[in-house]
Amino acid sequence: MRHQQLTDELQEKAILYAAGALDEDERREYQRHLDEDNCAVCRGEVRESEAAAQSLTIMLPMQTPSESVKRRLMERAEASSLTGRRRQSAERSRPAFAWGGWLAAAAAAVLAVVFFNTNAGLREEVESLNRRVVELESEMTTQRNLVAMYSRATTVINLVGQGSTPQARAKIYWDEPGRRWNVSVENLPAVPNDRDYQLWFVPRTGNPVSARVFNTSATGSAMLDIPVPPGVTALMAAAVTVEPAGGSSLPTTTNGFALLGAIP
Amino acid sequence: MASQDARALETFYDRYNRVAFTLVLRIVRTREDAEDVLSDVFWQAWQQAGRYDTSRGKPIAWLLTIARTRAIDYLRSGSKRAAETEFDANAPVEPAERSTDPFVLAGLQHAVKTCLEKLAEPQRVALEMAYFEGMSQTEIASALNQPLGTMKDRIRSGMMHLRKCLKPYEAPL
Repeated sequence: MRHQQLTDELQEKAILYAAGALDEDERREYQRHLDEDNCAVCRGEVRESEAAAQSLTIMLPMQTPSESVKRRLMERAEASSLTGRRRQSAERSRPAFAWGGWLAAAAAAVLAVVFFNTNAGLREEVESLNRRVVELESEMTTQRNLVAMYSRATTVINLVGQGSTPQARAKIYWDEPGRRWNVSVENLPAVPNDRDYQLWFVPRTGNPVSARVFNTSATGSAMLDIPVPPGVTALMAAAVTVEPAGGSSLPTTTNGFALLGAIP
Repeated sequence: MASQDARALETFYDRYNRVAFTLVLRIVRTREDAEDVLSDVFWQAWQQAGRYDTSRGKPIAWLLTIARTRAIDYLRSGSKRAAETEFDANAPVEPAERSTDPFVLAGLQHAVKTCLEKLAEPQRVALEMAYFEGMSQTEIASALNQPLGTMKDRIRSGMMHLRKCLKPYEAPL
Protein backbone atom coordinates (compact mmCIF):
# COMPACT_ATOMS: atom_id res chain seq x y z
CA MET A 1 0.00 0.00 0.00
CA ARG A 2 1.33 3.41 -0.93
CA HIS A 3 1.19 6.09 1.71
CA GLN A 4 -0.15 9.51 0.80
CA GLN A 5 1.49 11.48 3.58
CA LEU A 6 4.14 11.08 6.20
CA THR A 7 3.13 10.25 9.77
CA ASP A 8 5.23 9.95 12.90
CA GLU A 9 4.79 6.21 12.79
CA LEU A 10 5.98 5.99 9.17
CA GLN A 11 8.92 8.24 9.90
CA GLU A 12 9.97 6.14 12.87
CA LYS A 13 9.80 2.95 10.86
CA ALA A 14 11.87 4.48 8.06
CA ILE A 15 14.49 5.65 10.56
CA LEU A 16 14.68 2.31 12.32
CA TYR A 17 15.00 0.56 8.98
CA ALA A 18 17.77 2.91 7.82
CA ALA A 19 19.63 2.46 11.10
CA GLY A 20 19.33 -1.30 10.78
CA ALA A 21 17.38 -1.51 14.04
CA LEU A 22 14.16 -3.20 12.88
CA ASP A 23 13.61 -6.72 14.09
CA GLU A 24 13.98 -9.29 11.32
CA ASP A 25 10.27 -9.84 10.60
CA GLU A 26 9.59 -6.12 10.53
CA ARG A 27 12.64 -5.46 8.39
CA ARG A 28 11.56 -8.09 5.84
CA GLU A 29 8.01 -6.72 5.65
CA TYR A 30 9.22 -3.15 5.31
CA GLN A 31 11.71 -4.17 2.63
CA ARG A 32 8.82 -5.72 0.71
CA HIS A 33 6.85 -2.50 1.10
CA LEU A 34 9.71 -0.48 -0.36
CA ASP A 35 10.34 -2.88 -3.23
CA GLU A 36 6.82 -3.80 -4.26
CA ASP A 37 4.58 -0.94 -3.17
CA ASN A 38 6.90 1.66 -4.64
CA CYS A 39 5.87 4.05 -1.84
CA ALA A 40 7.50 7.41 -2.54
CA VAL A 41 6.78 8.76 0.95
CA CYS A 42 8.59 5.94 2.73
CA ARG A 43 11.40 5.77 0.16
CA GLY A 44 12.12 9.45 0.65
CA GLU A 45 12.29 9.02 4.42
CA VAL A 46 14.55 5.98 4.13
CA ARG A 47 16.87 7.81 1.71
CA GLU A 48 17.38 10.74 4.09
CA SER A 49 17.85 8.52 7.11
CA GLU A 50 20.29 6.19 5.35
CA ALA A 51 22.45 9.17 4.40
CA ALA A 52 22.45 10.29 8.00
CA ALA A 53 23.26 6.82 9.30
CA GLN A 54 26.02 6.39 6.76
CA SER A 55 27.55 9.65 7.93
CA LEU A 56 28.55 7.72 11.04
CA THR A 57 31.12 6.01 8.84
CA ILE A 58 32.79 9.30 8.03
CA MET A 59 33.79 9.78 11.61
CA LEU A 60 35.64 6.50 11.70
CA PRO A 61 39.40 6.40 11.13
CA MET A 62 39.72 5.99 7.35
CA GLN A 63 41.21 2.65 6.42
CA THR A 64 42.80 1.49 3.18
CA PRO A 65 42.57 -2.10 1.99
CA SER A 66 45.65 -3.86 0.62
CA GLU A 67 46.37 -3.73 -3.11
CA SER A 68 45.67 -7.45 -3.41
CA VAL A 69 41.94 -6.81 -2.97
CA LYS A 70 41.79 -4.66 -6.08
CA ARG A 71 44.06 -7.02 -8.00
CA ARG A 72 41.88 -10.05 -7.23
CA LEU A 73 38.70 -8.13 -7.96
CA MET A 74 39.93 -6.88 -11.32
CA GLU A 75 41.24 -10.29 -12.34
CA ARG A 76 37.83 -11.75 -11.55
CA ALA A 77 36.06 -8.96 -13.47
CA GLU A 78 38.35 -9.27 -16.50
CA ALA A 79 37.77 -13.02 -16.60
CA SER A 80 34.02 -12.51 -16.32
CA SER A 81 34.00 -9.85 -19.06
CA LEU A 82 36.01 -12.09 -21.38
CA THR A 83 33.67 -15.01 -20.77
CA GLY A 84 30.67 -12.76 -21.35
CA ARG A 85 32.08 -11.43 -24.62
CA ARG A 86 32.84 -14.94 -25.85
CA ARG A 87 29.35 -16.08 -24.94
CA GLN A 88 27.76 -13.10 -26.68
CA SER A 89 29.91 -13.66 -29.74
CA ALA A 90 28.98 -17.32 -29.87
CA GLU A 91 25.30 -16.49 -29.45
CA ARG A 92 25.44 -13.90 -32.23
CA SER A 93 27.11 -16.37 -34.57
CA ARG A 94 24.45 -19.03 -34.07
CA PRO A 95 21.25 -17.37 -32.90
CA ALA A 96 19.00 -20.19 -34.07
CA PHE A 97 20.77 -22.66 -31.81
CA ALA A 98 21.13 -20.44 -28.77
CA TRP A 99 19.20 -22.90 -26.63
CA GLY A 100 20.20 -26.14 -28.14
CA GLY A 101 23.85 -27.01 -28.75
CA TRP A 102 22.99 -30.48 -27.64
CA LEU A 103 20.20 -30.58 -30.17
CA ALA A 104 22.63 -29.83 -33.00
CA ALA A 105 24.91 -32.61 -31.76
CA ALA A 106 22.00 -35.02 -31.57
CA ALA A 107 20.88 -34.04 -35.05
CA ALA A 108 24.41 -34.58 -36.35
CA ALA A 109 24.49 -38.01 -34.76
CA VAL A 110 21.16 -38.91 -36.33
CA LEU A 111 22.34 -37.66 -39.71
CA ALA A 112 25.55 -39.65 -39.37
CA VAL A 113 23.54 -42.82 -38.77
CA VAL A 114 21.26 -41.96 -41.66
CA PHE A 115 24.19 -41.29 -43.98
CA PHE A 116 25.95 -44.45 -42.84
CA ASN A 117 22.87 -46.53 -43.48
CA THR A 118 22.21 -44.69 -46.72
CA ASN A 119 25.77 -45.27 -47.91
CA ALA A 120 25.59 -48.94 -47.05
CA GLY A 121 22.26 -49.18 -48.86
CA LEU A 122 23.64 -47.33 -51.87
CA ARG A 123 26.66 -49.61 -52.05
CA GLU A 124 24.38 -52.67 -52.09
CA GLU A 125 22.19 -51.05 -54.72
CA VAL A 126 25.17 -50.22 -56.96
CA GLU A 127 26.44 -53.78 -56.71
CA SER A 128 23.00 -55.11 -57.52
CA LEU A 129 22.73 -52.77 -60.52
CA ASN A 130 26.16 -53.83 -61.77
CA ARG A 131 25.09 -57.44 -61.63
CA ARG A 132 21.92 -56.51 -63.49
CA VAL A 133 23.95 -54.69 -66.17
CA VAL A 134 26.01 -57.84 -66.80
CA GLU A 135 22.83 -59.90 -67.03
CA LEU A 136 21.25 -57.43 -69.44
CA GLU A 137 24.35 -57.31 -71.63
CA SER A 138 24.32 -61.09 -71.83
CA GLU A 139 20.62 -61.08 -72.56
CA MET A 140 21.11 -58.42 -75.21
CA THR A 141 23.70 -60.59 -76.96
CA THR A 142 21.31 -63.50 -76.92
CA GLN A 143 18.51 -61.37 -78.33
CA ARG A 144 20.81 -60.07 -81.03
CA ASN A 145 21.73 -63.61 -81.92
CA LEU A 146 18.09 -64.55 -82.08
CA VAL A 147 17.31 -61.58 -84.31
CA ALA A 148 20.24 -62.50 -86.52
CA MET A 149 19.08 -66.11 -86.75
CA TYR A 150 15.71 -65.09 -88.08
CA SER A 151 16.91 -62.29 -90.32
CA ARG A 152 16.84 -62.97 -94.03
CA ALA A 153 20.18 -61.20 -94.36
CA THR A 154 21.87 -63.64 -92.03
CA THR A 155 23.98 -66.57 -93.16
CA VAL A 156 24.11 -69.55 -90.80
CA ILE A 157 27.34 -71.48 -90.62
CA ASN A 158 27.23 -74.88 -88.87
CA LEU A 159 30.44 -76.08 -87.28
CA VAL A 160 30.97 -79.70 -86.36
CA GLY A 161 33.39 -81.22 -83.86
CA GLN A 162 36.55 -82.73 -85.23
CA GLY A 163 39.19 -85.14 -83.91
CA SER A 164 38.93 -85.46 -80.10
CA THR A 165 35.78 -83.31 -79.77
CA PRO A 166 33.31 -84.91 -82.18
CA GLN A 167 30.31 -84.03 -79.95
CA ALA A 168 31.01 -80.31 -80.17
CA ARG A 169 28.73 -78.11 -82.18
CA ALA A 170 28.63 -74.45 -83.05
CA LYS A 171 26.51 -72.11 -85.15
CA ILE A 172 27.67 -68.83 -86.61
CA TYR A 173 24.99 -66.26 -87.47
CA TRP A 174 26.68 -64.04 -89.99
CA ASP A 175 25.10 -60.60 -90.31
CA GLU A 176 26.69 -59.65 -93.59
CA PRO A 177 25.25 -56.12 -93.86
CA GLY A 178 26.19 -55.52 -90.25
CA ARG A 179 29.51 -57.29 -90.65
CA ARG A 180 29.16 -59.23 -87.42
CA TRP A 181 29.39 -62.88 -86.41
CA ASN A 182 27.26 -64.05 -83.50
CA VAL A 183 28.64 -67.43 -82.44
CA SER A 184 26.99 -70.04 -80.18
CA VAL A 185 29.21 -72.94 -79.05
CA GLU A 186 28.01 -76.11 -77.29
CA ASN A 187 29.60 -79.27 -75.94
CA LEU A 188 33.14 -78.10 -76.43
CA PRO A 189 35.17 -78.94 -73.32
CA ALA A 190 37.15 -76.12 -71.78
CA VAL A 191 40.91 -76.25 -72.36
CA PRO A 192 43.58 -76.03 -69.65
CA ASN A 193 44.89 -72.63 -68.55
CA ASP A 194 47.91 -72.89 -70.84
CA ARG A 195 45.66 -73.23 -73.83
CA ASP A 196 42.89 -71.25 -75.53
CA TYR A 197 40.48 -71.89 -78.33
CA GLN A 198 40.91 -69.60 -81.34
CA LEU A 199 38.25 -68.96 -84.02
CA TRP A 200 39.53 -68.26 -87.58
CA PHE A 201 38.18 -66.58 -90.63
CA VAL A 202 39.29 -68.91 -93.46
CA PRO A 203 39.36 -67.10 -96.78
CA ARG A 204 39.34 -68.78 -100.13
CA THR A 205 42.83 -67.51 -100.69
CA GLY A 206 45.54 -66.56 -98.26
CA ASN A 207 46.10 -67.36 -94.60
CA PRO A 208 43.44 -67.68 -91.92
CA VAL A 209 42.66 -64.54 -89.97
CA SER A 210 42.10 -64.66 -86.19
CA ALA A 211 38.53 -63.88 -85.27
CA ARG A 212 38.60 -64.41 -81.47
CA VAL A 213 40.52 -66.13 -78.70
CA PHE A 214 38.21 -67.73 -76.16
CA ASN A 215 37.53 -70.59 -73.84
CA THR A 216 34.32 -72.33 -73.02
CA SER A 217 32.49 -72.55 -69.78
CA ALA A 218 32.38 -75.55 -67.51
CA THR A 219 29.34 -76.72 -69.48
CA GLY A 220 31.28 -76.49 -72.76
CA SER A 221 29.36 -73.47 -74.09
CA ALA A 222 30.25 -69.98 -75.22
CA MET A 223 28.47 -66.98 -76.77
CA LEU A 224 30.61 -64.67 -78.91
CA ASP A 225 29.85 -61.37 -80.70
CA ILE A 226 32.58 -60.70 -83.23
CA PRO A 227 32.99 -57.83 -85.71
CA VAL A 228 34.09 -58.86 -89.20
CA PRO A 229 37.05 -56.75 -90.29
CA PRO A 230 36.70 -54.84 -93.59
CA GLY A 231 39.55 -56.80 -95.21
CA VAL A 232 37.93 -60.14 -94.55
CA THR A 233 36.01 -61.19 -97.66
CA ALA A 234 35.43 -64.29 -99.80
CA LEU A 235 35.35 -66.66 -96.86
CA MET A 236 35.16 -70.38 -97.47
CA ALA A 237 35.09 -71.72 -93.93
CA ALA A 238 35.20 -71.04 -90.19
CA ALA A 239 37.48 -73.06 -87.96
CA VAL A 240 38.32 -73.40 -84.25
CA THR A 241 41.77 -74.59 -83.17
CA VAL A 242 43.51 -75.15 -79.85
CA GLU A 243 46.33 -72.67 -79.41
CA PRO A 244 48.74 -71.61 -76.70
CA ALA A 245 47.18 -69.29 -74.15
CA GLY A 246 46.59 -65.86 -75.66
CA GLY A 247 46.26 -67.18 -79.19
CA SER A 248 48.48 -67.25 -82.25
CA SER A 249 48.87 -65.17 -85.34
CA LEU A 250 48.41 -68.31 -87.45
CA PRO A 251 47.03 -71.74 -86.54
CA THR A 252 49.80 -73.83 -84.88
CA THR A 253 47.88 -76.94 -84.00
CA THR A 254 49.06 -80.30 -85.11
CA ASN A 255 46.00 -82.02 -83.82
CA GLY A 256 43.68 -80.73 -86.44
CA PHE A 257 40.57 -78.65 -85.87
CA ALA A 258 38.30 -78.66 -82.85
CA LEU A 259 35.41 -77.33 -84.94
CA LEU A 260 35.08 -76.81 -88.66
CA GLY A 261 32.31 -75.47 -90.83
CA ALA A 262 32.07 -74.71 -94.48
CA ILE A 263 30.56 -71.46 -95.72
CA PRO A 264 28.15 -72.04 -98.57
CA MET B 1 29.25 -0.54 -14.58
CA ALA B 2 25.84 -1.61 -15.91
CA SER B 3 27.47 -2.81 -19.15
CA GLN B 4 29.91 -4.97 -17.19
CA ASP B 5 32.88 -2.83 -18.17
CA ALA B 6 35.84 -3.81 -16.00
CA ARG B 7 37.37 -0.33 -16.34
CA ALA B 8 34.19 1.21 -14.91
CA LEU B 9 34.49 -1.12 -11.95
CA GLU B 10 38.08 -0.01 -11.43
CA THR B 11 37.05 3.64 -11.42
CA PHE B 12 34.22 2.93 -9.01
CA TYR B 13 36.55 0.96 -6.75
CA ASP B 14 39.26 3.62 -6.75
CA ARG B 15 36.71 6.21 -5.73
CA TYR B 16 34.88 4.44 -2.94
CA ASN B 17 37.02 1.55 -1.69
CA ARG B 18 38.28 3.35 1.40
CA VAL B 19 34.98 4.49 2.80
CA ALA B 20 33.43 1.11 2.09
CA PHE B 21 36.40 -0.68 3.64
CA THR B 22 36.22 1.54 6.71
CA LEU B 23 32.58 0.64 7.24
CA VAL B 24 33.16 -3.06 6.64
CA LEU B 25 36.20 -3.14 8.92
CA ARG B 26 34.25 -1.39 11.66
CA ILE B 27 31.64 -4.13 11.50
CA VAL B 28 33.70 -7.29 10.99
CA ARG B 29 36.73 -5.95 12.94
CA THR B 30 39.61 -7.77 11.28
CA ARG B 31 41.39 -6.64 8.15
CA GLU B 32 41.55 -10.10 6.62
CA ASP B 33 37.79 -10.61 6.96
CA ALA B 34 37.11 -7.03 5.91
CA GLU B 35 39.12 -7.42 2.71
CA ASP B 36 37.24 -10.59 1.82
CA VAL B 37 33.93 -8.85 2.38
CA LEU B 38 35.05 -5.73 0.52
CA SER B 39 35.89 -7.76 -2.55
CA ASP B 40 32.43 -9.34 -2.44
CA VAL B 41 30.81 -5.94 -1.98
CA PHE B 42 32.30 -4.46 -5.13
CA TRP B 43 31.70 -7.65 -7.03
CA GLN B 44 28.02 -7.58 -6.04
CA ALA B 45 27.78 -3.90 -6.95
CA TRP B 46 29.28 -4.62 -10.36
CA GLN B 47 26.96 -7.56 -10.94
CA GLN B 48 23.87 -5.63 -9.86
CA ALA B 49 24.73 -2.27 -11.40
CA GLY B 50 22.07 -2.79 -14.05
CA ARG B 51 19.45 -2.86 -11.29
CA TYR B 52 20.66 0.26 -9.54
CA ASP B 53 17.69 2.54 -8.90
CA THR B 54 18.65 6.22 -8.76
CA SER B 55 15.48 6.99 -6.83
CA ARG B 56 16.88 4.97 -3.92
CA GLY B 57 19.85 7.29 -3.41
CA LYS B 58 23.30 8.17 -4.67
CA PRO B 59 25.73 5.46 -5.81
CA ILE B 60 27.83 5.78 -2.66
CA ALA B 61 24.73 5.37 -0.49
CA TRP B 62 23.75 2.32 -2.51
CA LEU B 63 27.27 0.91 -2.17
CA LEU B 64 27.38 1.47 1.59
CA THR B 65 24.02 -0.23 1.96
CA ILE B 66 25.46 -3.26 0.19
CA ALA B 67 28.63 -3.04 2.27
CA ARG B 68 26.79 -2.86 5.55
CA THR B 69 24.43 -5.71 4.64
CA ARG B 70 27.32 -7.90 3.53
CA ALA B 71 29.35 -7.14 6.61
CA ILE B 72 26.46 -7.75 9.00
CA ASP B 73 25.68 -11.04 7.25
CA TYR B 74 29.34 -11.99 7.63
CA LEU B 75 29.27 -11.04 11.27
CA ARG B 76 26.15 -13.12 11.87
CA SER B 77 27.69 -16.08 10.05
CA GLY B 78 29.91 -16.51 13.11
CA SER B 79 33.40 -15.34 12.24
CA LYS B 80 35.69 -16.29 15.14
CA ARG B 81 38.09 -13.55 14.28
CA ALA B 82 35.36 -10.93 14.55
CA ALA B 83 34.14 -12.29 17.85
CA GLU B 84 37.61 -12.23 19.36
CA THR B 85 38.64 -8.83 18.11
CA GLU B 86 37.72 -5.46 19.54
CA PHE B 87 37.39 -2.60 17.14
CA ASP B 88 40.25 -0.13 17.54
CA ALA B 89 38.58 3.25 17.58
CA ASN B 90 41.91 4.90 18.21
CA ALA B 91 43.55 3.70 15.01
CA PRO B 92 45.22 6.61 13.21
CA VAL B 93 43.07 8.52 10.77
CA GLU B 94 44.74 8.96 7.42
CA PRO B 95 45.30 12.57 6.44
CA ALA B 96 42.41 14.02 4.51
CA GLU B 97 44.66 15.46 1.83
CA ARG B 98 45.66 11.94 0.81
CA SER B 99 42.06 10.88 0.43
CA THR B 100 40.19 10.76 -2.84
CA ASP B 101 36.79 10.23 -1.25
CA PRO B 102 34.60 13.10 -2.47
CA PHE B 103 32.90 13.90 0.80
CA VAL B 104 36.22 14.01 2.62
CA LEU B 105 37.62 16.35 0.03
CA ALA B 106 34.59 18.57 0.49
CA GLY B 107 35.37 18.99 4.16
CA LEU B 108 32.25 17.19 5.17
CA GLN B 109 34.07 15.11 7.69
CA HIS B 110 34.36 18.15 9.88
CA ALA B 111 30.67 18.89 9.52
CA VAL B 112 29.67 15.37 10.46
CA LYS B 113 32.03 15.42 13.39
CA THR B 114 30.41 18.60 14.64
CA CYS B 115 26.97 17.09 14.28
CA LEU B 116 27.95 13.93 16.12
CA GLU B 117 29.55 15.90 18.96
CA LYS B 118 26.20 17.52 19.57
CA LEU B 119 24.51 14.14 19.69
CA ALA B 120 23.68 12.89 23.16
CA GLU B 121 25.74 9.87 24.19
CA PRO B 122 22.77 7.50 24.71
CA GLN B 123 21.52 8.33 21.21
CA ARG B 124 24.96 7.84 19.62
CA VAL B 125 25.44 4.48 21.37
CA ALA B 126 22.03 3.23 20.29
CA LEU B 127 22.65 4.29 16.70
CA GLU B 128 26.10 2.71 16.58
CA MET B 129 24.86 -0.54 18.10
CA ALA B 130 22.20 -0.73 15.42
CA TYR B 131 24.28 0.41 12.46
CA PHE B 132 27.69 -1.10 13.20
CA GLU B 133 26.80 -4.10 15.32
CA GLY B 134 23.73 -5.14 13.37
CA MET B 135 21.63 -5.28 16.53
CA SER B 136 17.87 -4.83 16.37
CA GLN B 137 15.99 -2.44 18.62
CA THR B 138 14.89 -5.37 20.75
CA GLU B 139 18.45 -6.65 21.11
CA ILE B 140 19.76 -3.20 21.97
CA ALA B 141 17.05 -2.69 24.58
CA SER B 142 17.91 -6.02 26.10
CA ALA B 143 21.66 -5.37 26.03
CA LEU B 144 21.29 -1.97 27.67
CA ASN B 145 18.51 -3.16 29.93
CA GLN B 146 16.21 -0.41 28.76
CA PRO B 147 12.57 -0.45 27.66
CA LEU B 148 12.03 -1.03 23.93
CA GLY B 149 10.13 2.23 23.62
CA THR B 150 13.08 4.10 25.05
CA MET B 151 15.38 2.56 22.49
CA LYS B 152 13.05 3.46 19.64
CA ASP B 153 12.93 7.00 20.88
CA ARG B 154 16.70 7.27 21.22
CA ILE B 155 17.32 5.94 17.74
CA ARG B 156 14.65 8.14 16.25
CA SER B 157 15.69 11.33 17.97
CA GLY B 158 19.37 10.68 17.26
CA MET B 159 18.71 10.12 13.59
CA MET B 160 16.51 13.20 13.30
CA HIS B 161 19.26 15.25 14.90
CA LEU B 162 21.79 14.03 12.31
CA ARG B 163 19.40 14.63 9.44
CA LYS B 164 18.68 18.16 10.58
CA CYS B 165 22.31 18.92 11.35
CA LEU B 166 23.53 17.61 7.98
CA LYS B 167 20.73 19.18 5.96
CA PRO B 168 22.80 22.24 4.95
CA TYR B 169 25.32 19.89 3.37
CA GLU B 170 22.70 18.41 1.09
CA ALA B 171 23.07 14.90 2.43
CA PRO B 172 26.79 14.28 2.04
CA LEU B 173 26.45 10.73 0.85
